[in-house]
Amino acid sequence: MISIKNVSKIYSNGARALSNINLEISKSEFVFLVGPSGAGKSTLIKLMYREEEATRGQVFIDTINLSRLNPKQVPLLRRRTGVIFQDFKLLPTKTVFENVAFAQQVIGKSKQEIKVNTLNILELVGLSRKKDSFPSELSGGEQQRVCVARALVNKPQILLADEPTGNLDIDNAWGIMELLDKINREGTTVVMATHAMHIVEKMAKRVVKVEEGRITDHKLGEAY
Amino acid sequence: MLNQVSFVIVQALVSLKRNIWLTIASILTVMTALILLGGSVFFLANTSNLATSFESQIEIAVFINDNQNREQVIDLRNQIQVMAGVDTVELTAKEDAIIEFQESMGSSSLLEDLGGINPFPDKITVKATDARLVEGIANQIAEINGVDKVRYGQGILEKLIQFTDWLRWIGIAVVAAFAFASFLLITLNIKTNVNSRENEIQIMRLVGASNGLIKWPFFIEGLLLGFIGGIISIGIVGIGYNWLLQYIITTLAFLPVVADQMFMISVFALMLIGGMIMGVLASVFAVRKFLK
Repeated sequence: MISIKNVSKIYSNGARALSNINLEISKSEFVFLVGPSGAGKSTLIKLMYREEEATRGQVFIDTINLSRLNPKQVPLLRRRTGVIFQDFKLLPTKTVFENVAFAQQVIGKSKQEIKVNTLNILELVGLSRKKDSFPSELSGGEQQRVCVARALVNKPQILLADEPTGNLDIDNAWGIMELLDKINREGTTVVMATHAMHIVEKMAKRVVKVEEGRITDHKLGEAY
Repeated sequence: MLNQVSFVIVQALVSLKRNIWLTIASILTVMTALILLGGSVFFLANTSNLATSFESQIEIAVFINDNQNREQVIDLRNQIQVMAGVDTVELTAKEDAIIEFQESMGSSSLLEDLGGINPFPDKITVKATDARLVEGIANQIAEINGVDKVRYGQGILEKLIQFTDWLRWIGIAVVAAFAFASFLLITLNIKTNVNSRENEIQIMRLVGASNGLIKWPFFIEGLLLGFIGGIISIGIVGIGYNWLLQYIITTLAFLPVVADQMFMISVFALMLIGGMIMGVLASVFAVRKFLK
């Protein structure tokens, strides 16, 4: 599903973020990327939705080589890939319903389809009653649920999560993890970068450890 | 396609409404900028009109030698008429000149008092198409056989042209300065407006919006800001200029003013179209920065 081959990333300011990374992620897998701040986890995630390009090596999503993607094809890739962040990235002037509907409007779905999909996904993340609230009226956990709903509403094959529980208390963090686990069991590939080792240990999924831009450890589906 | 067109339009309108303070600030900025621009164009038109009106009063008086008979005088007039740069030519025969003078003196027996000798020469009054040509035309006429003297206000003419040139340059400088100021005001304001929504643009990209779909709402917003600002500024400049015209016509009637309806409509169209173009360009350029 995701294939990273001999990838290095050096930013334009000369900072080396990744060195010769090789990683294969299969369809429907759940993979944690762990490691200290600045290790390169976020850069690795950014390469997967083409926010950044590899300086060397290649990144594939299925058979698509992201290095060869022209700028006009990038939006098409993003529609197949849901992304959630620590800082949520919700539109403050749009309601919960509108934030989720927005992801479908940009790809030209009909009003009726958007309405049905949005209400269904808000039901799934447990936010039906807050559909008319603005992000500033929600708790952190609720805001992150809206982001999950927005990321999933177009039924992407891959969900990328960059520290999604970083701003949440333990209860809310577990709420989000249960949601991600459920989505993964339904067939979506999930890649999540995190610091939260208690979550990683309890979830018992595949873990990739990144340190100073290199993969230094790799465990499969067991308590880490 | 239709879904996306309606999405883009709704997106632009909702955004204008929900960012209402930014919208009001932008409209006020566009309005102020266009009032400066429109006002300066009217200023230029009037200074230029004033200059032309001063210049149009310059005439060349050509006095004909006494020894020229009527046919020769008419021939002279015809020669002058076809000279390059000559606008109008008017012949005042010596017989008419003395009658005019007599009337202006309130006398009916001047010619008799002078012993029947008419001291007035035949005179041709020439107007040039451009005040700058007057000196050349006058010199050319002076060379013609049969011409006695040529007078055109030597010494004063140069000063007058200097003054009218200066008047025109001030008008142009004022328009250029205000046009530049309006451009800066509008583009900087809209750029700031778009920059403050960088987060929104990033989120649009994240969920897979094409660059076109991101740009179009900003394009429409820029167009609407320019349009609304333009309409308000036209109202203000229109009412203000009409008031000023009425005031000048009733109290300073000797001042020539530009009151041509077509000219006014052209200036208003310039303000509206200029505002809309600046709004759109500023929006699109500002958004482009965020679209890699």
